[in-house]
Amino acid sequence: MQSLQAKLGSGLILSLIAVFTGLWLLISFNIQHLAEEYIASRLRHDAEMLLSTIQFDKNGKISLDKTATNPVYSQPFSGHYYLIFANKQSINSRSLWDQQLHRTPVKPGEQMRSHQPGPNQQQLLVVSNGFTKQGHGLNIIVAEDLNPVSDNIKQFQRRFAVSAVVFLLLLVILQAFILRQSLKTITRVRSELQSLQQGETRQLNTDVPEELRPLVNEINHLLGIMEQRLHRSRNALGDLAHTIKKPLTLMQQLIDQHHATLTKELYDKLARQTKDINQLTDRILKRARLAGQAHSGARFSFTRDLPALIETLEMMYRDKNVKTQLIMPTEVDCAIDREDMLELLGNILDNAYKWTRQHIKLTITSNTELDICIEDDGPGADTSQFSQLEKRGVRLDETTHGYGFGLAIAADMVREYQGTLSFSTSDKLGGLRVDIRLPAG
Amino acid sequence: MRLLLAEDDQDLVATLRQDLEAAGYAVDLADNGVDAEYLGNEAIYDVAVLDLGLPKRNGIEVLRNWRSKGNALPVIILTARNAWHERVEGFKGGADDYLGKPFHVEELLARLTALLHRVSQQPGGNLTASGLILDEERQTLTTEDGHSHKLTGTEFRLLRCLLLNPGKVLSKSQLMDHIYDLDSDKDSNVIEVYIRRLRQLVGSEHIETRRGQGYVFRDN
Repeated sequence: MQSLQAKLGSGLILSLIAVFTGLWLLISFNIQHLAEEYIASRLRHDAEMLLSTIQFDKNGKISLDKTATNPVYSQPFSGHYYLIFANKQSINSRSLWDQQLHRTPVKPGEQMRSHQPGPNQQQLLVVSNGFTKQGHGLNIIVAEDLNPVSDNIKQFQRRFAVSAVVFLLLLVILQAFILRQSLKTITRVRSELQSLQQGETRQLNTDVPEELRPLVNEINHLLGIMEQRLHRSRNALGDLAHTIKKPLTLMQQLIDQHHATLTKELYDKLARQTKDINQLTDRILKRARLAGQAHSGARFSFTRDLPALIETLEMMYRDKNVKTQLIMPTEVDCAIDREDMLELLGNILDNAYKWTRQHIKLTITSNTELDICIEDDGPGADTSQFSQLEKRGVRLDETTHGYGFGLAIAADMVREYQGTLSFSTSDKLGGLRVDIRLPAG
Repeated sequence: MRLLLAEDDQDLVATLRQDLEAAGYAVDLADNGVDAEYLGNEAIYDVAVLDLGLPKRNGIEVLRNWRSKGNALPVIILTARNAWHERVEGFKGGADDYLGKPFHVEELLARLTALLHRVSQQPGGNLTASGLILDEERQTLTTEDGHSHKLTGTEFRLLRCLLLNPGKVLSKSQLMDHIYDLDSDKDSNVIEVYIRRLRQLVGSEHIETRRGQGYVFRDN
């Protein structure tokens, strides 16, 4: 779909052009009309003045007192003309010189208006009047050149057009400014959506124009529901874990307590079964807890959560006095759920702490993807042990024993985020090297 | 050593208490968060085992409240909630160690011993002082001459308490607090009897009596 700004902008410019053109046409027409009316009424007055100077003698001969007429009628081609005719006689104004006006007889008391071409390309407005004087019917035709007025009108039209274009431009600029101002809120909402996706905010700002408010409210509502659901299901899973582990813990205690009275075979079987149940529940529950790429809940912060995790591990493995070297950029873009990432890094780092002699190196690089590399100086491992883990859809009970339990949980998580997990031997430290690559978005 | 066990699962408590007492701890029980917080502030405990899923007040809140009041009681969190974010929360809240359920009692006991040694700035392994070696697992004392002596429960508790606080004056009531739980009958004369017995084992020069104050373990 076309952008709102382009749509509104072009619509506005087109309608403004239409309005200004319409206005120009209307005003031009009206001014022309007014000017003609004005000239026509003046011509009528001239005709009446001429009428007052006309005399008929006894024979019906018409005479005109030319001294009483306006001097413009005497000047050749002055643009002001008259023609009087009655009883087959006619009197032309001197200004007509050798030219003639069309005579169209009009009945007394009537009036007729017409346009005629005049001398010297003049455009004449001609008013023919029918009168009766001293019992004789007569026609007085008066005409005036419209060109001077038309020139004025044309000049006015030009000025009007120029100022209209200037106003149009000013209005367009003003509208563009107003539009941009109003669309700024949309731009802000867009950038907020982006930061929402990045996990920098949890809710959108509701200080938006009324038109957008339902949309923003709905998004906030949905975010709230998603967050709540995740929270609820995680709590429920936590409770479930708690409930399952209660009898399991007791079983373990009883098995330990009666170690002496049980046969070795029975003890081993029972111990192994409780351990299996425990690890299987752990893995299933942890897999179910994953938020995955649902954008809700708190995001993992490498600057805040990672040091806390390393501190936790240092406390847990305090006696080993492990030296952890952390290499990471000052800012890491990562839209991964906090609890998921803690689970992933926790399990892999725990494995490293468990096997390391003293040194662990954690390297984080963030470009279009997030790369996490964990190396230790422990005994390392036979890579064939891990090829199973890297495969998709490993059966749960295949990986519960020995080395890879925490790593199996980590592998589940990486799969959930469509990332990759690979194992190799560390060149520098000589132990296990785990590489995790996750999509950053 | 006096231990506060904050755990609401009665069945677990029944077996765990036996194991802890057998290992020489005087155990007091709190089956809810409010009681646990109150007891933990009593300054008579050497260590606390804290379940996070306590009724009335959540374990992590209890821990935070202790720490905000400046109570440095060593705490091991014992919980079925062992997701990593919960562990991080636990350590951030001021826990000294964290053990996920289900667990082996041996592991809990080993962690308790390690924690108590750490708090008293003692090295790991057996408690040693002036040629004496106290094996906390077997509750035996090896003296300078290489002879091994089996200790009774109270002897072991008392000696461990002294060895963990070398050079410090411990009053009779303090010693009582650390070796007996709330439900025991207390008779302060009993302490004198046991001190006399321990002097015979470790040599009277190591346990000094400060009149009106208490006893001091002298490390050479």
